[in-house]
Amino acid sequence: MAKKKEEYIEEKEKPLSLEETFARIEEVIGHLETEEITLEESFAEYNRGMTLLARCNETIDRVEKKVLKINEDGGLDEF
Amino acid sequence: MQNVYTVAQVTSYIRNMFTQDFMLQRVRVRGEVSNCKYHTSGHIYFTLKDEKSTIMCVMFASDRKGLPFRMTEGQQVVVAGTVDVYERDGKYQLYARQIELDGIGALYEKYERLKRELEERGMFAEQYKQPIPQYIRTLGVVTAETGAAVRDIINVAKRRNPYVQIILYPAIVQGEAAAASIVEGIRAMERLKVDLIIVGRGGGSIEDLWAFNEEPVAQAVFDCNIPIISAVGHETDVTITDFVADLRAPTPSAAAELAVCDFGQLEERIAEYAYTMHHLCRRTIQSYRSQAQQYGVRLKYLSPLNTVRVKKTQAVSLEERLQTAMERKLEEARHRLALYAERMKGLSPLDKLSQGYAYAADASGKTLRSVDQVNTGEQIRVYVKDGSLLAEVREKLTENG
Repeated sequence: MAKKKEEYIEEKEKPLSLEETFARIEEVIGHLETEEITLEESFAEYNRGMTLLARCNETIDRVEKKVLKINEDGGLDEF
Repeated sequence: MQNVYTVAQVTSYIRNMFTQDFMLQRVRVRGEVSNCKYHTSGHIYFTLKDEKSTIMCVMFASDRKGLPFRMTEGQQVVVAGTVDVYERDGKYQLYARQIELDGIGALYEKYERLKRELEERGMFAEQYKQPIPQYIRTLGVVTAETGAAVRDIINVAKRRNPYVQIILYPAIVQGEAAAASIVEGIRAMERLKVDLIIVGRGGGSIEDLWAFNEEPVAQAVFDCNIPIISAVGHETDVTITDFVADLRAPTPSAAAELAVCDFGQLEERIAEYAYTMHHLCRRTIQSYRSQAQQYGVRLKYLSPLNTVRVKKTQAVSLEERLQTAMERKLEEARHRLALYAERMKGLSPLDKLSQGYAYAADASGKTLRSVDQVNTGEQIRVYVKDGSLLAEVREKLTENG
């Protein structure tokens, strides 16, 4: 469990990629699926999973992008 | 009549003219291969031809290192060697020392050579392939600014995920400057730290696609620390860049499919995760709840109240038994009493009194059985059938005195 705590801290501080976040969520689900999880643990895991999911949604930048083009000075123009 | 010469003399004379000709000693001839025969001796016999003429050629086994490929009918080649006369047959022929493929053929040969070389250097090895990230935010595209390739990539990418930032490097993809331009494009993308790069162009001839077969491009793709998907030409065009790239897409559209994840699917996946977690958590709670209920039932069963109730029932039944036993005993006693009473009746002195007997008792009520029990002058009580008499002892007489 001590290791888990470190992971929590890491999750809060380090920005995770979507792949990493998904991998963590799979891990949480795997843990929730085991029969011998305690109720407290299951609440903790559930919380962790929901936080990760919220972060997934934060990570997705839902702004439609214009295609950019590198110009001769190395700057970016709209294409 | 002038001098007459032998055939050998004339032939020898002609041969001499050939050998003395500077140009014929070192000549390069372009033509199409026909009648090509690899002889068992190791010599190769063939004919070079063009629209107008043909020339017989031979390459001796000792010169075979000058032929780096397998020569076949119809190939366009440039043969370097000497034109000489074969005296026995009186024929002149080209003695080949070096043969290379001409034009497109030369390109193919170059392609094969570079491919072999880079493969030997391990540049195509699986271990150097970087994984293609599944969810990218920025996509670098190195291709021509105009043309179908860039449009296809943008259309497909936007359809799949409009939130991905596409950055285009307008590269020259054909001609002398192409290789350098593509290399610069890859470097520019590295500086911008995009998540993934597509390098490619639309279809064309082998010459059109040639830049993607050049070593600097291959090297730049290999050195790039951002994953690269190559998309050169059509499905059937395979360039050196395709071998070096981390992933080869058959077409530019396919490259965009591989590069950009489907946003709808991504959202579905997130929703599915949320559902699974809700579900699993609910399941856990449910299982704990039912366990708690089971414990409740068991606990109720084991409660002291239950014990008390059992004991109370036991007490009641004991009481009943006690009662019955007691009553029986009483009944028995009563019965015995009646019997005794009957027997007593037979023995009672009162019956005798009624027949005229009496009995006497001293002052304390003790029945008198002997004269010694009382003194003269003491009062005694005499009981008769219907009462008692108080009397005084006047004299004591003994039976025998």
